Amino acid sequence: MNKVAYNNFDFLPPEAKSDKEQTRPSLTYWKDSWRRLRRNKGAMVGLFGILAIVLFAVIGPLFTQFTYDQQVNKYKNVEPFLNVYEVDEGVFVFVNIDYYAYQISEKGELIDRLSGKRPEKNIAEGIWRYHYNLNGKDLILDYSYKQVPEKAGEGIAYSFIYDGVEYKEKAKTVWNKTYPLGTDNLGRDMLSRLMEGARISLLVAVVATVVNLFIGITYGAIAGYAGGRTDDIMMRIIDIIDSIPLLLYVILLMVVLNDTGLQTIILTLGLVYWVGMARMVRGQVLQLKEQEYVLAARMIGVPKHKIVFRHLIPNALGPILVSMTMMIPTAVFTEAFLSFIGLGVSAPHASWGTLANDGARSIQTAFYQLLEPSIGIALAMLSFNFFGDGMRSAFDPRLRRG
Amino acid sequence: MSAMLEIKNLKKHFITGHGKGRKVLTAVDGISFSIRKGETFGLVGESGCGKTTAGRTIARLYNPTDGQILFEGVDIAKMTDRELRSYRPKLQMIFQDPYASLNPRMTVQDIIAEGIDTYKLAKGEERQERIYQLLDKVGLKREHATRYPHEFSGGQRQRIGIARALALNPEVIVCDEPISALDVSIQAQVVNMLEDLQKEFNLTYLFIAHDLSMVRHISDRIGVMYLGKMMEIAGSDDLYEEPLHPYTQSLLSSIPLANPRQKNFLNRIMLEGEIGSPINPKPGCRFASRCRYAKPDCFTVSPELRELRPDHFVSCHYAENLVPNVKKEEKIQP
Amino acid sequence: MRLFQEDILKNIQFEDDLILKVDHLQTTFYTHMGQVKAVRGVSFDLRKGEILGIVGESGSGKSVTAMSIMGLVDEPGRVSGGSIRYGNLELTKLKDSEMNQLRGKEISMIFQDPMTSLNPVFTIGQQLKEVILTHTSLTGAEAHERAIQLLRMVGIPEPELRVRQYPHQFSGGMRQRVMIAMAVSCNPKVLIADEPTTALDVTIQAQILELIQNLKTKLDSTVILITHDLGVVSEICTKVNVMYGGLVMESSDVIDLFENPQHPYTNGLLQSVPINVRGEKARLIPIDGTPPDLLKPPSGCPFSPRCPHTMGICQKEAAPLFRINDRHCAACWLHSPEAPQVPGYVQSKVGEE
Repeated sequence: MNKVAYNNFDFLPPEAKSDKEQTRPSLTYWKDSWRRLRRNKGAMVGLFGILAIVLFAVIGPLFTQFTYDQQVNKYKNVEPFLNVYEVDEGVFVFVNIDYYAYQISEKGELIDRLSGKRPEKNIAEGIWRYHYNLNGKDLILDYSYKQVPEKAGEGIAYSFIYDGVEYKEKAKTVWNKTYPLGTDNLGRDMLSRLMEGARISLLVAVVATVVNLFIGITYGAIAGYAGGRTDDIMMRIIDIIDSIPLLLYVILLMVVLNDTGLQTIILTLGLVYWVGMARMVRGQVLQLKEQEYVLAARMIGVPKHKIVFRHLIPNALGPILVSMTMMIPTAVFTEAFLSFIGLGVSAPHASWGTLANDGARSIQTAFYQLLEPSIGIALAMLSFNFFGDGMRSAFDPRLRRG
Repeated sequence: MSAMLEIKNLKKHFITGHGKGRKVLTAVDGISFSIRKGETFGLVGESGCGKTTAGRTIARLYNPTDGQILFEGVDIAKMTDRELRSYRPKLQMIFQDPYASLNPRMTVQDIIAEGIDTYKLAKGEERQERIYQLLDKVGLKREHATRYPHEFSGGQRQRIGIARALALNPEVIVCDEPISALDVSIQAQVVNMLEDLQKEFNLTYLFIAHDLSMVRHISDRIGVMYLGKMMEIAGSDDLYEEPLHPYTQSLLSSIPLANPRQKNFLNRIMLEGEIGSPINPKPGCRFASRCRYAKPDCFTVSPELRELRPDHFVSCHYAENLVPNVKKEEKIQP
Repeated sequence: MRLFQEDILKNIQFEDDLILKVDHLQTTFYTHMGQVKAVRGVSFDLRKGEILGIVGESGSGKSVTAMSIMGLVDEPGRVSGGSIRYGNLELTKLKDSEMNQLRGKEISMIFQDPMTSLNPVFTIGQQLKEVILTHTSLTGAEAHERAIQLLRMVGIPEPELRVRQYPHQFSGGMRQRVMIAMAVSCNPKVLIADEPTTALDVTIQAQILELIQNLKTKLDSTVILITHDLGVVSEICTKVNVMYGGLVMESSDVIDLFENPQHPYTNGLLQSVPINVRGEKARLIPIDGTPPDLLKPPSGCPFSPRCPHTMGICQKEAAPLFRINDRHCAACWLHSPEAPQVPGYVQSKVGEE
């Protein structure tokens, strides 16, 4: 404003008047949507989950001691949470599902597997035992509590006998610090394998989505803008592609390429998944091409491809982003599913699906081996779903408020 | 003066459905008129009359079903996109909705310069200079060039649209209801600007609108459309002072006047019946079903545009016999 | 109809013919970008039998004023000050459920867009009956008869047939008539019409406005007509309020407004509409600039940035309503005895309103 004071009833010269042409930055579509997204708790939780999984996959391997394919024979099928027994002052042992006994530190670091495992079974006399060597002496695992009816009443499954003393109760439950998520049946660290699995699952999902993005958007935009017969034909092609089940494609490709594994899956997903995106983009384009700014571009004589890429697609980005976010969990699940039925990556590579497959075989004995990859898949899908749902609500212009 | 734009029997039909359910929507069903260079031709009518479709067909946003569009003598009606390329810069358009006619993702300068860029007319500094000149012409400031459409009001956006149309140095501009969506106090600004630009660049306007007072002010000649056909064409003063077609008479009598001592539409000529449909139209005059003067042959024979007064054309079989400004209580004997 | 609810209309009283008294009404929208002060201190009286026109452009606050009277202002907005008295009832203090007793029965409203005001999945009859049954104690069959009667009253041909039809089978003008029928179904004292003809063609507009005028006479009600079209105001209104930037700029008898406008904004509006005289292509005189941003309204008078006669005080303080005569007042400092003489603007001897 100006510093000259004007008397109340003097006419003001034009410069002294406030700006008669007001412009103000009103909220753009993006700013408004981003703001709504931030307020959506579900979406933020989902976003957090996604970031956590990405970090897990990318940076995680730097912090583990083992690689995903490193096999340590003596540590097969070791659980993540262990019931340890203190058989001597400061000496802790536990037994795994294969009836091997291990010595472990009080804090949970594995020391070694005990040698000299020797079963002793005589059901008639109520004897079911395993013998091990611990520090030169004999450690006995008495497993008869479950098998012998007289002893069943005591409520325990087994006991340790060392140096003449029987230990019926565990000293404590310890978290396995050497293998925080346990090992699998070949002695490989589950944590590392899950990280590898995360990497592969995410890689598959992202690559498939990106490929679908390019093919889907371009195809849909062309069909929508061209209209008429071209549009009809293109859409019928999509219908045909869509009607053949995914599994069939994978198997066919497997036969043709003579290979299961990562490339096949990505290729399949790339060949088939763009359909949803194409349909959606076509719908958007059909709507947008009647907008006056598109007509204005046509009046100027802007060539068709520029209209599609400069005017139509940028304005359809909102729904495209949402669609993309929702495609990822589907891709993750599809990859997991294919791997689970055996059409996935081959050993020693791991994806969550193959891990689940391996784990399913030991579902009764080593449940954790199935649980862990399943939780991973579920978390990834939930995170992307929550986030995608939040995106959809945030980018819907009809919900625009305030 | 030679005709800048001459429209001959222009038709635009839309076909929906197939087989037995096939419907032909005759949005524009044979209109003819011409516009001289530097002139403004107003095209008026109510909703459904086809004026917007006519405007867009003439601008070649739609492909005409039939008829000729003679641009400086050359028929552009059936040209392909490639052939049209040399004509596009000469024939530009301004749109109705200021909130939908600018791409929200582009800056003002990119919007204005899109034509320049498409035809590679200028680059770098020269291009920037041209953008600033155009902004100045429409009353906007240089710093507005880098902003986005959502930062502007309706009137300002409309001015950006005008700048965009001017960028290619057109000769003819089709104005499709350019002020309908604006506030009254802003309409006058835009109309004045259009008139100034017309004088400066010797532009020819096809002005499509439904605000009858504003159309009279800006147009030299006016055409009145109804259900795809042209009912009357005359100089603007002639049309308003002596409307010869029954529809025009009724239309003009319904305009509310800003003069409370003179109540216009309490004395207006009312139309009977309902507006007809442009789908699969019946033969004869389109207005016959609502016309108080209709005679039997009005329902069978379509009237042609006839020059009843100098430069005043009417499409009606009995226009010269009509008694003007009949009060609504009196009925005319057929 | 409604159990456990006090009939707020039981003790209602009207003084003389004063139906509605709006006093320094303020309505604000509390958005995350700030407060949008849509109505900033509007006062007027509505007397029985008037057709009050509220004229203004976008952002003037005319629609929000009407919505405030009806209690239809939604989150994030609300009435933030002032009073609206209907007889001896203070409307701003009523709960929504209490307002419901008034809406449709005492005060009714018709909206701008006839295409979206009717529910497409119900017949016209069902929608009319809904209003009737809510506010009266007629039976279903009686309500049906009344619905047909109403359709006939608003000029819809063959009402017995039409009452069973759906909205999409009606044209825009017809739908607006149906809206009017719904609004007058319970003989309201006040009918508020918010730009009822803006979306309609000029011939239909004339019909609808004439209908409103006829119904007002027949049902002895009072009308508030909101519009931006001065022609419409001139044709059927008896009194006019001109609004700008959330405030009333000028309030007057309709003839006085057009023959003796006393506010620069009103003058500007009248001058920017073409006066068509044969032969002369007179230039339009627009009002420079753009309507104000209600997030940051100009200090003082909202019209000051665009006014040709802005004075120092105009930027500091919005003018009060100065009385020009007993039917006409204007909120402009030019009427103050201290202001310099400008041709066309009288100085108010009586002082402030």
